[in-house]
Amino acid sequence: MQLGHCRFDIDREELINLDSGHVWHLPRAELQVLTLLVDYQGKVVAKALLKVGNGEQQPLSDSSVTRAVFTLRSFLGPQYESLIETVKGQGYLLRHHRCRKNNDTPSQRKVSSAKLLAGISLALAIVLCSSWAIYDNQNLVNSAPIPLQSNSVKTLSGHSVNVILYAHSKTNNGLLTELSQTMLLSFSQCNLSSWKNVYLSLSHDKQVLNITLRGEQFGQSMIRNLKISDRRQPKQFINQQWLQAVDICG
Amino acid sequence: MSRTWRWAINIVILSILLACLGVIYKLTVKPPSFMLNCSSELFNRQQSLEDNKHYLLVDLFSKDGQAQINYRYFDLEGNSAGSVSMQGQVNSIDLDNMLYDISVKTKQEFPHSNLDLAPEHYKYLSYVSSLNLNKKGMHNLSVRVLERDEGKDFAVVLFQPSNTVCGCRLVN
Repeated sequence: MQLGHCRFDIDREELINLDSGHVWHLPRAELQVLTLLVDYQGKVVAKALLKVGNGEQQPLSDSSVTRAVFTLRSFLGPQYESLIETVKGQGYLLRHHRCRKNNDTPSQRKVSSAKLLAGISLALAIVLCSSWAIYDNQNLVNSAPIPLQSNSVKTLSGHSVNVILYAHSKTNNGLLTELSQTMLLSFSQCNLSSWKNVYLSLSHDKQVLNITLRGEQFGQSMIRNLKISDRRQPKQFINQQWLQAVDICG
Repeated sequence: MSRTWRWAINIVILSILLACLGVIYKLTVKPPSFMLNCSSELFNRQQSLEDNKHYLLVDLFSKDGQAQINYRYFDLEGNSAGSVSMQGQVNSIDLDNMLYDISVKTKQEFPHSNLDLAPEHYKYLSYVSSLNLNKKGMHNLSVRVLERDEGKDFAVVLFQPSNTVCGCRLVN
């Protein structure tokens, strides 16, 4: 009969530790308790029955049964002591345990695979959480679109206007930069202007120039959007005269 | 069953439960509604000719993950010069960064009776959106708020990938 890493030889009344080779010739109480537990393996055996045994000998005391269970568990070791389970108020139960064929390797393997499974799950959870955190972080890092340029110009009255450029990429923005210079020059010649910020952007294919003017007048928010298409070649979109004509100073 | 196995199973069940919670959260969370109203003056610069001028009204609104974008074009007298209506879904909303990611799946175009008189911007929008819808089956765009003053109901937004800056009224 296999019990964890021990073998119970009922005929010789011995419990043998297969790892260390240690042989324990079982005293009467331990033998009686273990024999009954093996007979009723998987079922709860009442303490009263464990005390009486097969009735051929004097019944054991309560403390003898308790001590026998304790010593049996001790011999089975921490790994297998839970094979003998205490069922509170009812008795004891010897749980089923698959026998080893040759040595401990398969059960060790089972324990190892359980640990491996738990480890993989934990590692997976940690990797997922870290990836999420890194992804979120990257989003935060990439969050605010950085303007290509931001220049400030003063009107004739000393009022400051910011011209902010947004581009699709950091290269090939010569036309947008030229347009911003035209815009800055136009604002520098304005007497009065309600505009505070001017946003300039060229569409990704450079077909449409977008101008958004944002300012305040008498505590009221003011917004003006201009979208300019230019079919001419080379594209000019705006010049100072044109900006004056569309009353860019506001 | 050994204690190690019990722990392993507990951890696996816990991981599955956490994953389920994440999926349930993702499926049940409703993106907040928003509505932008943007009006623009359209200019078409032409060689030795006076500018062809139109007005454009763009309404972008989203509710329960669905998005609708209407582009309405008008001439100087206020007559309709065509419109484009797009429908799609909101893929994600990043409230921290004020970024709205939208996929347009369908569109309807109502061109001016004389296409030659249609605003250049209408033709451009029609061409670009058709290109994406025919090629990829969707027209993706993101709207990022650059400047916002909810007290005064306005926002300056950047549409990508078109790289369009626009000042809009915040309706919601």
